[in-house]
Amino acid sequence: MTPLCRMEDVRKTFRMGDDAVEVLKGIDLEIVHGEFAAIMGTSGSGKSTLMNLIGCLDVPTSGRYLLAGREVLGLKDDDLSVLRNAHIGFVFQNFYLLPYATVLENVLLPTLYRENAMDGARERAVELLRLIGLEARMRFRPNRLSGGEQQRVAICRALMNDPELLLADEPTGQLDSKTAAEIMNLLAKMNERGKTVIVVTHDPAIAACAKRIIRIKDGVIVDEQAG
Amino acid sequence: MKRTLLNLKIALGSLGNFKLRTALATLGVFFGTFSLVVVGNLSDSLALKTEQEIANLGNNLIIVVSGQVRRHGPNTPLISRATNLTLGDAEAIANTLPATSRVAPSGFRAFPVRRGNTVLKAIAVNGVTPDFGEVRNFEIAAGSPITEEDDRLQRKVALIGRTTAEKLFGEENPVGKTILIWRVPCQIIGVMAEKGADVAGNDQDNQLFIPLKTFLRNFVNQENVNIIYVQAVSAEAIDPLRGEIEALLRVRHKIRKEMKDDFTVVDLKEVTALKSQAMGLISVLGRIAAAASFLIGALGILSIMILIVNERRVEIGIRRAVGSRKRDIILQFLMESSFISVSGGMIGMAAGFLMSLAIAKVLDYPVTISGLGLLVAFAASALSGIVAGIYPSFKATQIHPVDIIREI
Ligand SMILES: Nc1ncnc2c1ncn2[C@@H]1O[C@H](COP(=O)(O)OP(=O)(O)OP(=O)(O)O)[C@@H](O)[C@H]1O
Ligand SMILES: [Mg+2]
Repeated sequence: MTPLCRMEDVRKTFRMGDDAVEVLKGIDLEIVHGEFAAIMGTSGSGKSTLMNLIGCLDVPTSGRYLLAGREVLGLKDDDLSVLRNAHIGFVFQNFYLLPYATVLENVLLPTLYRENAMDGARERAVELLRLIGLEARMRFRPNRLSGGEQQRVAICRALMNDPELLLADEPTGQLDSKTAAEIMNLLAKMNERGKTVIVVTHDPAIAACAKRIIRIKDGVIVDEQAG
Repeated sequence: MKRTLLNLKIALGSLGNFKLRTALATLGVFFGTFSLVVVGNLSDSLALKTEQEIANLGNNLIIVVSGQVRRHGPNTPLISRATNLTLGDAEAIANTLPATSRVAPSGFRAFPVRRGNTVLKAIAVNGVTPDFGEVRNFEIAAGSPITEEDDRLQRKVALIGRTTAEKLFGEENPVGKTILIWRVPCQIIGVMAEKGADVAGNDQDNQLFIPLKTFLRNFVNQENVNIIYVQAVSAEAIDPLRGEIEALLRVRHKIRKEMKDDFTVVDLKEVTALKSQAMGLISVLGRIAAAASFLIGALGILSIMILIVNERRVEIGIRRAVGSRKRDIILQFLMESSFISVSGGMIGMAAGFLMSLAIAKVLDYPVTISGLGLLVAFAASALSGIVAGIYPSFKATQIHPVDIIREI
């Protein structure tokens, strides 16, 4: 079975004027369907950069990256959008819900950009909100929710188009440890239901929830272990 | 559709942060459509009014005036004082030019009019033939018209205009009463139907009509008339007939090639030309003002959209992350900017519509709704919004999700 993600000698260089900084220095990585992986490393080691490449928010400077068997390097901006919309759900440290839309509308956002309209999108969104216990707040603006609640809504949004891959970059960075544990439980639950989940974190306690830990240092993977 | 509604709602929420600026920008578009609609409706009204006025003068009417008509302003008298047109000229036109349907020679002069103690200093007194009413579209409201016999026998009878009748008789019925015109007692045989102001703005209801021969022999003591009204057989016959009349009169008046005519065949389109010119100028000014307003409106919307795009960087980044393409973002912001301008434009169109109704009422113009004007106004408002949105929406596509995530 082809892995969901496959990276071969992936490098990423950022140019700042005349300086070029190589942030990822040859990453080889395979993520298979149904995995729950944590990426760990010190600040500035390149975790987010790697995550953005996996999520097709950015493209490698060199190397190969196959997502679901498809070569990502060389795809046009629009194709990347379509790819993200169908295959990837993002959860960010800062939630990033739209302030002028309701909770329900926020969850529905990815359906607006689908290639084929989704039947019963609203019902599905309500169902997802019921799953996380926020059905009663679906007409609220996000600013009336607590941080943990907002992050749960963001997870619903990430799940809305039923993507294979759920990417979470420091999803608990803004939350207290109890709420953080709830969020990790939710991600673990999604993993049990078949989603492939990748979490970026500093926190060993968070990483411990994952089944696999990928350590990165100065742009290379230094250690892998089963969690 | 759902997407459009949601985007609109989000846009409105965001616009709420810039209420004053939005109002100002909308105001520009408002005035733009306002002036376009007003100008459009009014020029249509004027065109219709002109048409009505010309028709009101008489069907297929040609006016021959003695002397050269010079015009310096809208109120210059149409008719000169010279009286070198004759009854013979009128007869010649009627008898030799087949495109002629009716001919009505007429003389006029202002005389004092008296009834009892009421004296009106200068009322226009017209000597007319029985055909006059038909040719000039004058109708009689009460009493009887001037007949061939009245004219042949130089009877001292008169038809009285509404305004003059009111001045002299108030509520009383004037028919059968006698008034003193200059020093000639005349019996009133009829009252004219109301006619309103003529092209030059003179009250056509403040005058008297008496038989032409009575006028020539008993009042002015001459054989010449001031004016000959000619009715052509059809509208198409008017222009050729004007030429024929000119040729005929030059022969009859023995005017040699190099000499100027001692009469004028009036072009009725020319009569209303001055008014049209004034209106044309107003239209041009109105359109310039509209263009300036649209420009200001567009600049205002441009500045607001730049602010909005900046305020919503995160939103744009997130939309991109969940899969919106650049063209979706462009479309979204173009719709937002045209929504702002079209809402201003709609209000402007409504206000302009009401305003042109009010102006038409004050000027006593017929009310017309210029469909083209409304369409142009709508298109212009939508266009100014779209143009104003191009740069900001392009800016929006340059916002990248990765940058947003790194920003905080
Ligand atoms: N777009 C960019 N342009 C320039 N430099 C960048 C860019 N993105 C990342 N970097 C640099 O690359 C390095 C790695 O950044 P990255 O965000 O991947 O680190 P990280 O491991 O996620 O750190 P943290 O734990 O602090 O989030 C940093 O030195 C950062 O400054
Ligand atoms: Mg990071």
